[in-house]
Amino acid sequence: MDNVVVQKLIAIVGEDYVSTRQDVLLAYSTSASMSYDTVLPDAVVLPQSTEQVSEILKVATQYKIPVTPRSGGSSLQGEVIPKEGALVIDLLRLTEIEVFPDLRSVTVGAGINFGKLDKLLNKQDLWLPVYPGSSLTATIAGNVAVNGSGFGSSQFGCIGELVLGLEVVLPNGEIIQTGSEANPNAPGPFLRYAFGPDITGLFIGSLGVFGIITKVSLKIFKRMHHFDYNTYGFNTPQEAEKFVIQCKENEISPVWIAIYEGRILDFFLEMVGEEYGVPKYEWPPITVSMVIGRIREDQLESDRAEAQRICVEEGGHVIGIAELPKGEWDDRMRELARSSYVHGWHWRILYHHVTPSQWHRTIEEMWPLFDEFGVLGHTAGFQSDHSSYNYYPQIFFDPQDAEDESKAKAAHKELVKRLFKTGAVPFKLAPYWVDGITEMEPYLNFLKDLKEAIDPNGIMSPGTIPGIEGED
Amino acid sequence: MTTIDLDELLENLAQCRRCGICRNAVYEDKGFDGVCPVWKNSAGFETSFMRGRIQVALALLDGRLEKTEENAESLFSCTLCGNCTSICAAEFDPAKCLESVREVLNEIPNAVRDTIAKKILENNNPYVDENKTRRDWVKEVGFDIPGTGEVLYFTGCTAGLKLPETAKSTAKVLNAAGVNFAVLEEEPCCGSVMIRTGMVEEAKKNAEKALEMIAKSGAKKIVVTCAGCLKTLREDYSERFGLDVPEVLHMVEYLKPLIESGKLKLKKSSEIKKITWHDPCHLGRALGVYEEPRDILKAIPGVELVEMETNREAAMCCGSGGGLRSYDGNLAKKIASDRIQDAEAIDADILATACPFCEHNLKDGANRIGSKIRVVDILDLISKQLQ
Repeated sequence: MDNVVVQKLIAIVGEDYVSTRQDVLLAYSTSASMSYDTVLPDAVVLPQSTEQVSEILKVATQYKIPVTPRSGGSSLQGEVIPKEGALVIDLLRLTEIEVFPDLRSVTVGAGINFGKLDKLLNKQDLWLPVYPGSSLTATIAGNVAVNGSGFGSSQFGCIGELVLGLEVVLPNGEIIQTGSEANPNAPGPFLRYAFGPDITGLFIGSLGVFGIITKVSLKIFKRMHHFDYNTYGFNTPQEAEKFVIQCKENEISPVWIAIYEGRILDFFLEMVGEEYGVPKYEWPPITVSMVIGRIREDQLESDRAEAQRICVEEGGHVIGIAELPKGEWDDRMRELARSSYVHGWHWRILYHHVTPSQWHRTIEEMWPLFDEFGVLGHTAGFQSDHSSYNYYPQIFFDPQDAEDESKAKAAHKELVKRLFKTGAVPFKLAPYWVDGITEMEPYLNFLKDLKEAIDPNGIMSPGTIPGIEGED
Repeated sequence: MTTIDLDELLENLAQCRRCGICRNAVYEDKGFDGVCPVWKNSAGFETSFMRGRIQVALALLDGRLEKTEENAESLFSCTLCGNCTSICAAEFDPAKCLESVREVLNEIPNAVRDTIAKKILENNNPYVDENKTRRDWVKEVGFDIPGTGEVLYFTGCTAGLKLPETAKSTAKVLNAAGVNFAVLEEEPCCGSVMIRTGMVEEAKKNAEKALEMIAKSGAKKIVVTCAGCLKTLREDYSERFGLDVPEVLHMVEYLKPLIESGKLKLKKSSEIKKITWHDPCHLGRALGVYEEPRDILKAIPGVELVEMETNREAAMCCGSGGGLRSYDGNLAKKIASDRIQDAEAIDADILATACPFCEHNLKDGANRIGSKIRVVDILDLISKQLQ
């Protein structure tokens, strides 16, 4: 990177917080995304305030330098792999937290992770009731940028549903505030849909292509202390799917619902069953692991009885093994990571949402494709919103075997196409989705127009959503 | 010549999925409130915590990064405290891997590391030219301590040469308990720092020499006051070097039954108020000795033991381990100040520990921020409460 630019960055944040060292650049050439080619940036900068982020983006715009913002670096689909010559902006020094008890909301800086906020809110018997599997490392702002989900989403939706407003630095360095806080006289965040169109929504799931989220304001809730953990067995996927839909329809409050096919559950339990204390059991073809959470015990009692009634009505039986859902829920800050790491493989992941009624379609596409490409893998998932189910098939490979990895990549690419045809939608509009989807030209063209209007120099997170970018 | 199986090391390093939990995870249910003390107390680049270090290590090993002192800096800017290992969701030991990487890559220039190893090999300690002075404290205890005996107090370089009060206190406590013990006439360094910084071949030579001297003393049991000596003598000598070492106990392990059985009686102190315990990494995370020191402190009449926000498996490090104190003293002291602030946050009057490295660095950390907290070795505390 041109020394003039480096000096300007140093003038903004100080010498200690800018680096062009080879070892540092190498460490920023990757993230938790497995099987993505590493790309060295030209420099890394660590701002401490929104104003510094703004000044940095003004420099980047002036010199047309591609910018990759990152914070936790825990994303799995290449979102923060920089472009060659890029400037990486590491946002972990943005660590403000402000709780608004009367507004039932909180504002956090882009460097705050879920674990940190959870501990603080817990002291006030509050919570942000969405726990992605990377809660210990993922930042809330980063999760908003990918519209993540996790434990809690079965009841409260993806993280975007909880966002009340954002502070965003646009590519030209301008700072905007969305939601009710756009009014400088507002007492804090209390309404997202203020002042016209949902500008907040433009940045949720945007993967950083329109600007840098420096603060997030979110709804927070009284912490639940009453839980029911249970497992429900079914002979067919359709019975299990109907059970899930009916539980939601009847206002049961499930903070965690996961549907397991028999062989997937066997694999999962082989990894963490003992750790969770799950007893040996002849599991049925399909098992639903569910945690019902409530503020009041009487609500919980009612939900528990209703879930059992629905289960039997839909042709299932109550298994009664609580250790599985309890183990998952208690380990919610890292369960998804734990269960994905313990087997030793690396994997390519294919996050997507389906409807609960279509749960079986992903399974139907996945297994034959794995056989076709000669790869191993499995899938897990959970109810992620009002009527969506978040799936994340993982295709395994040996990190030290290039041929194995190449097979995984090919299988991954093909699975996208087949899942799209089933009606599945992306969890993140990652590059492989853009390559794999068809029949959506008007939508993608509109995104492209927005991109050109907001980021005419194309400096923000290039390559993250390639289909909406102009030609290099 | 390294003893490390490179393929196995690479396989282990590949277990890192780069999730980043090893950086600043706050996991209240498991007691973690941050993980890497270096990341927390430095600018915060990726290279300042284990995920980035592993990426650097892999690149140095496969040639993507040139083997220069600057490129290897992050490998040495680590206390090897093992907090990352405690929280890691994958099936490997990142801290142990980094220690192995230091060994495999020990051809990369590092003046600090080389100087320490040279001094130890030449002088039997990393601090002074005249090693015999490390026994000077014996003259001040008021009774004779032989050079041979069945129970050997292995003083360690730091207690012997920098913090002799701890050595004197230990002698007084052992004497009060009626234990006949010896101190070597010219005690060698255990070699811990050589192992941690990758000079393992040199450490093995040193260990063989040290063990020969220990054997000559007739020791059947070794007691230590340094957590680093404990891990090295108890674990590394046998597991790494295949040496047959007599039983090695830290004084907190040795004293607990003596106190509980009434052989060592402690009196009430009017000056001791709230005490917190800092878990030395080599004593706690490495060897699982958590409760013995706490039980001893609770046995002192009038003591109120209070826990810092992070303790036991999730305790933050003092900053001096893994050679960091020598490699980057300012960073080590900054980390120590941070730990002192943990003690201040719970209004502790005294921070007790059982490792002269921790004590030395934490005292500097306290001075650095003008803290009034007293940092003491647990043996110093006990010696003042002897009946």
